[in-house]
Amino acid sequence: MANAIDQTRRMLSLVTYLRERPGARVSEVARAFGITDAELIADLNVLPMCGTSFRGGDLLDIDTDGERIWWHNVDDVAQPLRLAADEATALLVAARAVATLPGLRESDRQALLRATAKLEAAAGEAARGSSRLSVTFEAEGSVFADVDRAISERRRLRITYYSPGRDAMTTREVDPIRLFTVGHTYFEAWCRLSEDRRMFRLDRVADIELLDEQADPPPVELRDLSQGLVQPSAEDPEVVVEVGPGGRWVAEYYSHDTAEELPDGGLRITLRAADPMGLRRLALRLGRDGRVVSPPELVDGAREAAESALAAYGG
Amino acid sequence: MAIAKAERLMNLALCLMNTARPLSKRELRASIEAYRELDGGSDEAFNRMFERDKDDLRELGLIIETAEGGDDEVGYLARRDRNRLPEVALDAEEAAALGLAAKVWQQARLAEAASGALQKLRAAGVPFGEDASDGHLGALEPRIPAHEAAFEPLMIAARDRRPVSFDYRRSNAAQAESRLVEPWALECWRGHWYLAGWDRGRKDVRVFRLSRITSRVRTRSGAFSTEVPDHVDVREAVARWGGEGATSTARIRLRRGAGYPLRAKALETAPVDAEWDELEIPYGHGLDAWLVEFGPDVVVLEPAELRADVVDRLRAVAKG
Repeated sequence: MANAIDQTRRMLSLVTYLRERPGARVSEVARAFGITDAELIADLNVLPMCGTSFRGGDLLDIDTDGERIWWHNVDDVAQPLRLAADEATALLVAARAVATLPGLRESDRQALLRATAKLEAAAGEAARGSSRLSVTFEAEGSVFADVDRAISERRRLRITYYSPGRDAMTTREVDPIRLFTVGHTYFEAWCRLSEDRRMFRLDRVADIELLDEQADPPPVELRDLSQGLVQPSAEDPEVVVEVGPGGRWVAEYYSHDTAEELPDGGLRITLRAADPMGLRRLALRLGRDGRVVSPPELVDGAREAAESALAAYGG
Repeated sequence: MAIAKAERLMNLALCLMNTARPLSKRELRASIEAYRELDGGSDEAFNRMFERDKDDLRELGLIIETAEGGDDEVGYLARRDRNRLPEVALDAEEAAALGLAAKVWQQARLAEAASGALQKLRAAGVPFGEDASDGHLGALEPRIPAHEAAFEPLMIAARDRRPVSFDYRRSNAAQAESRLVEPWALECWRGHWYLAGWDRGRKDVRVFRLSRITSRVRTRSGAFSTEVPDHVDVREAVARWGGEGATSTARIRLRRGAGYPLRAKALETAPVDAEWDELEIPYGHGLDAWLVEFGPDVVVLEPAELRADVVDRLRAVAKG
């Protein structure tokens, strides 16, 4: 069921909107309000049940044949309503955050800043709470500009990229597909080195060069990223890590299958990784706060790395 | 069948907006069918429903005033002039930019609030495009995540200036502890939400990471005991804790070709021999744990304290 408050908010705007548009098309109104035709029809079924004064007997006479919407007793029953505190906050915080994106076109930024100022003025008191929330996006400016340009001009890129898992740089040619920001800013591309799609974090791009070749990524279905960037596959090898209380942060930073509580206040975390050796850094970082339990090659790899590092300090 | 809530709210809103004089509860109850049909018809049930409905309409931005009605009863009305959206003269370009920015929320309540605001603006004549889901901001798809359950109650408490309590587990603590906090501001940084506020138990300003709140957030009665500062810099506090507010420097040896992020932060880099470079890097909180990640590719030269911390960590890993 649709949320009654959201539906009420929408219907109040609808009556103001329809007043100016006799015979409006259902599909066009639904698109303008960002809802489905069925949701709009549901709203139109409620409106004729709504009276416009306490005396009764003056219901809204709005009806539709499924294609067009007619209002037979058009009246000034509602007006453009002032913004609620949450509405002003949601718009203003989003607009201020987006305006800080380094890769935004300058004309878009200027338009957004003007819109923000006008909106602040119109929201008045309701805008006050928006200073209680803020969002910062991070994007490496110059790298961003090159990726953005490569996407709009459909050109190939050569990048030198840092892989933290292997602590190594690789140079590769990639065909960029899209840029997105979830905390950090990333771009997704078809990597011609691995012949697969890959995510690249902008702050790990050490060097970038726009090539003259046309980008030619194979058609790929864009994943919904709202569930997290790292979506390990069930076939990936399993890694088990046991941490004490001081290592509980591991469960926050690594998407995992399970995290069982241990009696000492720690956790036993099971996760999947395409390349378990990429977790050697984690194994080293844990120190006294935990240890990797399996797979054995990761356990041994971390121990050997620590022993060989200790040798430089005289044992 | 009971009358749907949206229909009831809509009737109440239209009644309150289209009256010239305050309407008493009795009049509203008599004129709105959903109230007339109330099961049992007890005053108590009606009063509860009426109070909730008024709160819901206020959430939508409606200012409902109370005033003396005709028969010495309290009356209610939503005056047109106080509820009208002032003119927002956006041109098409400004409207397009705002419409796209509004789509960044992944948090349900704010996503709905943003699209509700756009609907109000659209009804007021702001020239948005014909399709609410159209367009994009350059090549970028910015998203603001807010998966933490604590986000919504804290946002509302900060808005309404209400103290809250919750259980909080610090990153290195075994047990969560109960905290009583006056929430000042929320900030999203690097994809995580943080709360800054006055911690009543610790009598100091504290920053909390929302993902470490382990209980439900409970709103407490009473008002703030502190003045909310105009500017609350959550990010500065988090960055300092994250090692970005270094107060001194350290010298390390780094194997050639390794440790790009360390090189990117280095204040000075000089080759030592064919295999090693020497770097001077900022030394702040958490540097020891970070350096250990590079295993045998990093050797700490000084200060001695950092060297000892790194050796200590390596020994723990070597023991297995």
